[in-house]
Amino acid sequence: MAAFKRKRGSGSGAGKQAKKVKFAENATGKQMAKPGQESEKEHNIPAPVSRGKWKNKERVLVFSSRGINFRTRHLMQDLRTMMPHTKADTKMDRKDKLFVVNEVCEIKNCNKCIFFEAKKKQDLYMWISNVPHGPSAKFLVQNVHTLAELKMTGNCLKGSRPLLSFDPTFEKEPHYALLKELFIQTFSTPQYHPKSQPFVDHILTFTIADNRIWFRNYQIIEEDGSLVEIGPRFVLNLIKIFQGSFGGATLYENPRYQSPNMHRRMIRLATAARLKEKQQVKELQKMKKSEPKVKEKEDPTQDVFVTPAEEKPSDIQLVAPEPKPVKKKKNKEFKRQRQLKQKRF
Amino acid sequence: MEDFEEESLSAGSDGEDSAMSDGELQEAFAKGLLKPGLNIPLEARKKAVNNVEGLKQCLADFKKDLAWVERLDLTSRPLPDIVSKADGKLTTLNSGEIQAEDDFQREMYFYRQAQAAVLEALPRLKKFNISTKRPEDYFAEMAKTDHHMQKIRTKLLAKQASMEKSEKAKQLRELRKYGKKVQTDVLQKRQKDKKAMMTAVKKYQKGMTDKLDFMDGDQEKGKKGTSGAAGPNAAKKKRGPNAKRQYKDQRFGFGGKKRGSKWNTKESHDDMSGFRSKAAHGKSGKNFGKGGKQGASKRPGKNARKKMKNRS
Repeated sequence: MAAFKRKRGSGSGAGKQAKKVKFAENATGKQMAKPGQESEKEHNIPAPVSRGKWKNKERVLVFSSRGINFRTRHLMQDLRTMMPHTKADTKMDRKDKLFVVNEVCEIKNCNKCIFFEAKKKQDLYMWISNVPHGPSAKFLVQNVHTLAELKMTGNCLKGSRPLLSFDPTFEKEPHYALLKELFIQTFSTPQYHPKSQPFVDHILTFTIADNRIWFRNYQIIEEDGSLVEIGPRFVLNLIKIFQGSFGGATLYENPRYQSPNMHRRMIRLATAARLKEKQQVKELQKMKKSEPKVKEKEDPTQDVFVTPAEEKPSDIQLVAPEPKPVKKKKNKEFKRQRQLKQKRF
Repeated sequence: MEDFEEESLSAGSDGEDSAMSDGELQEAFAKGLLKPGLNIPLEARKKAVNNVEGLKQCLADFKKDLAWVERLDLTSRPLPDIVSKADGKLTTLNSGEIQAEDDFQREMYFYRQAQAAVLEALPRLKKFNISTKRPEDYFAEMAKTDHHMQKIRTKLLAKQASMEKSEKAKQLRELRKYGKKVQTDVLQKRQKDKKAMMTAVKKYQKGMTDKLDFMDGDQEKGKKGTSGAAGPNAAKKKRGPNAKRQYKDQRFGFGGKKRGSKWNTKESHDDMSGFRSKAAHGKSGKNFGKGGKQGASKRPGKNARKKMKNRS
């Protein structure tokens, strides 16, 4: 988000001015009325869109650690687009401890924080925290889809206030109730925020399925409830809830959480075990073949019905021949063709 | 997934401290706490922390009492799924159980939840005079740029077009099977008409007929044809399979030729169909006698035959 210069103290005391509508080149539809114009660097203070006083001072700091990939970066940008009460910050170095985040938030005068942490360039963790004293939660983020995906066909006003919809399951468990309160305070845009739009045209849903929290964002098209997905969408897998901000006593730990490393390890072990089993079976078969064969006792009743055949010139072998090593039959369907080819050359 | 757990060979042994001395172990064995067999110390599995009291306390401290207008939060059950009920596919799952693996069902569940929330919220918003539709003349920045929405639109249109194309191709393929037959019939009919026309013209030219009926052509034939042409058509149809086909049917059709069927019966004696008067009276034309071989080679070439065909 490019920071724009604002002339302070000019015209703001005049109260509600008419909106200065600047027409962009393409007059097809959406034109800029808000201060976020990138084409101009300096402009007058815009009249606030809101018609009331902004009381609920929530500010959310959205930033990340180093080593994030493009998808995470876009997700962060999308969150900042969706929520006008957010601020951005530079990437935090990994060697700093986590409680440094609290200080960063204090500097920026934010009271909530969403911090993305990327490990091994593969796993994405998200911290949501109420900064000075309050609780914080760590999640593993999966299945990230951003605003820019072409399957997300909806659109909404930038900075419009969202409806938040929660699953009834959030009421049942105390940890979910705490998370619900955290989400409400973080994600809902305060009323009369200067960058917010007065219309409510999209809805964020939080649903619990498979022990994870699924986040979706829909645009409200019609009053009868027809919706289109805007995006972004992601899945949160709760790891722990802490009493303090980025630290403190653990209030809740998810028993069904398995770290991604462990998950990968399980998969690798499974495949390795399968291979080992195959090898063992093969070895066993080999051993069985090379075992000295047990000679059975002679059965006297066996020769009762034997009619002697004609005398054949016998080639007496005193020593039993070596058992031939069984060659695995290779599929040589196209042997003839290969031979033909060779003959040609 | 379970944490790693070392199994003990003897079931039911507690986690024993390996630093126990021999004397203590003997005592424990005597008491019956230890069982014979190899005892492996079992790590006590870390119980997941669930500090319910702490959570509730924290929530109480943290909660902000804001008006609903500030928060705009709703708890909603998803709307009942009419579509799948109509299809009869609705499995008896309580609404708490969402199949996370079944993508479509899961997304529809989220969609319905959002719908329920919207329907509940709209009247409440109306009370506060907050609308969800922006007026026509309100221009403001959108979350996605116009350019992006154009891209989305073109992609959707392309998808639709490709689907239509594939539908058309399928239909064409179906049609081709039927169409080929129809096409051959139409071509044959055209050839027949042309031939008839040419013969009629030739006849008139040679003076065999002096009526110019054929010039009227399709107009009259269209009216008469439905009634008049039924007669000759029926006759033609009765002729149906040609002589070769009939011969083959007689020999091989319907179970083949019946061996030992009578040869010289009254019916066969009276049957005059195989009588050719010219052959019988010895006048087989110029090829009878010497010119047989020449006759065989007298078949005109391809071009000549084509010309003949087109002319007649």
